[in-house]
Amino acid sequence: MSISILRTTVPRISGRRIPTVAALQVRNSTASTVYVPGGPIYKGTVNDPTTFPAPSKSHGSYHWTFERLLSAGLVPLTAAAFVTSGTNYPVLDGLLGISLVVHSHIGFDSMIVDYLHTRKFPVIGRIATWTLRTATVGVLVGVYQFNTNDIGLTELIAKVWAA
Amino acid sequence: MQALTSRSLARSSRSIRAFSTSPGRWQAEPLQKPVLQKEFKIYRWNPDEPAKKPHLQSYTIDLNQTGPMILDALIKIKNEIDPTLTFRRSCREGICGSCAMNIDGQNTLACLCRIDRNAGKDTKIYPLPHMYIVKDLVPDLTLFYKQYKSIKPYLQNDNVPEREHLQSPEDRKKLDGMYECILCACCSTSCPSYWWNQDEYLGPAALMAAYRWIADSRDTYGAQRKEHFQNEMSLFRCHTIFNCSRTCPKGLNPAKAIAEIKLALATE
Repeated sequence: MSISILRTTVPRISGRRIPTVAALQVRNSTASTVYVPGGPIYKGTVNDPTTFPAPSKSHGSYHWTFERLLSAGLVPLTAAAFVTSGTNYPVLDGLLGISLVVHSHIGFDSMIVDYLHTRKFPVIGRIATWTLRTATVGVLVGVYQFNTNDIGLTELIAKVWAA
Repeated sequence: MQALTSRSLARSSRSIRAFSTSPGRWQAEPLQKPVLQKEFKIYRWNPDEPAKKPHLQSYTIDLNQTGPMILDALIKIKNEIDPTLTFRRSCREGICGSCAMNIDGQNTLACLCRIDRNAGKDTKIYPLPHMYIVKDLVPDLTLFYKQYKSIKPYLQNDNVPEREHLQSPEDRKKLDGMYECILCACCSTSCPSYWWNQDEYLGPAALMAAYRWIADSRDTYGAQRKEHFQNEMSLFRCHTIFNCSRTCPKGLNPAKAIAEIKLALATE
């Protein structure tokens, strides 16, 4: 059933930009009939609905809720860092360091999903994702070292501000 | 009786005019409208000549011999200047959604968009942005309709009552501002997220249609409908840009519907 539909519809979809292929080649999915993410060739026939990925709350609502709560939490956290000193409250310094880095990680990750998703950019997308993960871990380690062995984030910003 | 006399009067006056060779002094002179030439620059691309790049073609028409809307201008151009100009239109009153296009940088319906009567400035008309073009101003909406189909835009209820589904006026009110959507695709094609990820992200039009059924008190499949959106692409590529609500020619608010879905997912 699907073959007969493909025979009539796929050349019509793709025919304008890509040379029409023989109907039987559709099953072999040649380069000109293979699905292109976001491209002129769709999955299935024109009458098939698009499909949804497998549901995963951690990629869906949990991720979104965590992101929003973190962003909202950063406001009082930053204000607290303004009025107090990191030397007296090292926990605040640590919390601020972690939340800032995680917040940026989520933001950059969102950019990668938007513009460099692996379905469209299988190589660059993976490179970008792993570069981001490495950078985030590196910065987290760096902030930890800086907070424990040096003056800490809040003091640094106060110093730079005054300078 | 009165109608009869007025009709016979009209007939007699017509017969008088038929015998006279020039209009009588009592007849008004036909109003000579001044000529108001305005330039329209319209996107052209012909699939029969795929090697030729798309270009803007210029047409100048007299606004005083044209109707008030952009669609009137397009029809006039097609009728009188260039019959090869291709665009979709049907109802000419903003209820079919066929004539959605990008006019002076704004996605809207040509039949609801007034012509800017400033003759010094040209009006540029493009098809809906970031869509595959079939010809000239006609975009390929196949994927848009496939996405609409995927959200199952119909009532799903396993407990079918013996007679009609009853609904309180309050519950019915929740659907106002959503059921009016005519699927013209102005909102989805104005959304940058939809431009980059339209194969996975559903876009404001389909998402508002989905929420129209989630919010419906007669539909019992809300949980299943919501579960489809538990992934990073289908719904959560919405970054609250609000282009959808800004551009909607029907004055609806798809961004609010999307926010309601996000809230419902976060609090369930």
